[in-house]
Amino acid sequence: MVLMAVDREAAYLGLAPGMKLADARARVPDLKAFDHDVLADAALLEQLADACLRYTPMVSVSPPRTLLLNISGCTHFFASENALVEDAEDRFDQAGYSLSWALAGTPDAALALAHHGLREGAEAQLPVSALAMNDNTHRALERAGLYHIGDLAERPRAALVARFGSLLAVRLDRIMGIEDRPIDPIRKLANVTTERRFAEPLTHIDFAISCLEELFIEAARQLEERGQGARMIRMILFRCDGDVARLAIETAPATRDAALFKRLLRERIDALNDPLNPGFGYDLIRLSIVATDSLEMEQYRLEGGQDKQGDQAALVSQLSVRLGRTQVQHFMPADSHIPEQGLLALPALDSGPPKAWDKPKAGEPPLRPLHMFDPPQHIKVLAEVPDGPPYRFTWRRKVHRVSRYEGPERISSEWWQRRDGQQAGKGGLTRDYYRVEDMRGRRYWLFRHGLYGSEKANPDWYIHGLFA
Amino acid sequence: MFYKLEQTMNIVDSHILEKFSAHKSQMLDNITVPNFTFGAASLDIALSKETPNHGLPLAQLHEIHTAEPDDSSNAAALTLLLAARARMAAETSDQPITWVRDRGEARRQGRLYPPGLVELGINPDHILYIDAADSIAVLRAAADAVRCAPIGAVIVELAGKNPKGLDLTATRRLALSAKKSGVTTFMLRSKAAPMPSAAFSRWQVAAAPSKALAANAVGHPVFELTLLRHRGGLDGLNVRLEWNRETRSFQEAPDISAVPAVSGIRTDHEKIRARA
Repeated sequence: MVLMAVDREAAYLGLAPGMKLADARARVPDLKAFDHDVLADAALLEQLADACLRYTPMVSVSPPRTLLLNISGCTHFFASENALVEDAEDRFDQAGYSLSWALAGTPDAALALAHHGLREGAEAQLPVSALAMNDNTHRALERAGLYHIGDLAERPRAALVARFGSLLAVRLDRIMGIEDRPIDPIRKLANVTTERRFAEPLTHIDFAISCLEELFIEAARQLEERGQGARMIRMILFRCDGDVARLAIETAPATRDAALFKRLLRERIDALNDPLNPGFGYDLIRLSIVATDSLEMEQYRLEGGQDKQGDQAALVSQLSVRLGRTQVQHFMPADSHIPEQGLLALPALDSGPPKAWDKPKAGEPPLRPLHMFDPPQHIKVLAEVPDGPPYRFTWRRKVHRVSRYEGPERISSEWWQRRDGQQAGKGGLTRDYYRVEDMRGRRYWLFRHGLYGSEKANPDWYIHGLFA
Repeated sequence: MFYKLEQTMNIVDSHILEKFSAHKSQMLDNITVPNFTFGAASLDIALSKETPNHGLPLAQLHEIHTAEPDDSSNAAALTLLLAARARMAAETSDQPITWVRDRGEARRQGRLYPPGLVELGINPDHILYIDAADSIAVLRAAADAVRCAPIGAVIVELAGKNPKGLDLTATRRLALSAKKSGVTTFMLRSKAAPMPSAAFSRWQVAAAPSKALAANAVGHPVFELTLLRHRGGLDGLNVRLEWNRETRSFQEAPDISAVPAVSGIRTDHEKIRARA
């Protein structure tokens, strides 16, 4: 076992990451060691990244323990860039984390400087290992007497590329600030962002909610100018102790309606698994509109009628927020002859244009059941002849005697979905469907799975649906 | 003396006013709340003799119970078809029927199958299906849906003897909201224990043998309906209805007792056994 990380005291005692646990124990017998939990570390880093969203929307996580913040154009709340960093350092300190940081023109330079405890302008003093090439390359560079990035930077690139490959030149350029690289932010950049900062943290949730409403009205005004409405609204509540609460609301149609937003927000907060806890108070509340749709100015009808479509969509949004978006569904026709594919239902929030359904044959009774079991349920069937219609069947421990039947309707399997499906016996089992009615007048949809004799010696029977 | 006269006049006035307003509200009721029908004339007339308002009132809560747990597909179909007829009668044909259902029940009873809806003559696009976690969530979602005026009809499906949260108050809340918004509401109950409710009518539905088609094939859906309760005091109506998809209406079905299928090759085991 190997040490993955050590705390400050352990570092003083001479322990370092990468050391064997047995060796470390030999040096420090009363060493406290814990299992390395990668997921918990990642979650913690993610949480810290969220807390850093207060400084810039461009926050990127670089595992295992680095955060990259692009603060270009985001320092107007602070006296200088250094003041921003000091603020961050204070906050991390309060939350119990120690920080080593660096400011630089490119992300790679900042990363390398921060890892080696240097400041901007000291790139030349970085060791060659800061290039993060493989060990052989580092060793070869050191053997050549090139210990620092500065030594390399003076050399002609062509010779370096010929010896160590072009990657070295790219890394070198990035650290020296010649070449920039975009960072991958953890959150999508929003279309419209509004925020409030508080000198005195808000300790009551109702104030926070009314603040969110004000922010939404502000954002709605901006959206109105662009002829757009919000489809997806994200809210972030920053607590002054570094904790971050995140809320999201999705609406069925694009909206700028503050009353609807208020209702949905209440639903969202009610549906939270762990309720919002303001703790020591929120000192920054941000609302961003992540997805928008075009929404023209509303025009009231001349006759003063109400906008019915709007109410319906509001109901869909409200129930989707409360119950979850997949629980409010509308049905879609499926382009398949396999019966259970017809159960397709999509979230009503994503409702597209209505599609045409197959017309039933005039004069025929219903040929498909009202309720379907997915998966079908196994039944015991007694038939006169093995490939004939059912005579009696047992389902849920009850015996049903068939009085009328129609069938079989033969539905073959999707043999093209299977490997070698075109060969006999490899395309899956054919189903023979029967519509049957028992003595009590209840109607069932049964099928025999597999053709008797040719596909299966003793085909199983299933009940697939219930007719009205 | 003078003073007294004035007082009596006032009393008379208020009496007249009361009567008038009662009459007016009745009139309003008759005007704003039309009825929907089954389409089977004798049943519709039996339900309400006033022409042209036969049938059951819209904008009310109606309960439909299954006779036995196994009849729940029939009860569901009847509810859906009634909702579709109510939606047609209310001339709200561009508005969806909202179906609120308990997730556990959907797992037991099977899921709603859109091609089956088409076969009954209902466009699946007109259905907004809501899958709620438990009976309380069902009732909450239903209450919101009923309050929303541009909804064609609402079907609340609740299974079990005494679902949590369902009581007289809950049904009253639904009935009042239905009256206010004009959305006809149906409560579909299976395995229900009798309990007080604010519903306008309560029906019991059972499956009934269909009229056989050629070659003893299964025919059109037939339902056996019993009126258990009616606000107008009707009782004991019992009728067998067959759904006609082409006319989108019910028609009375003749009473056919089920006949076992006769196939050419059946051996009469019982006879042989008796002979032996």
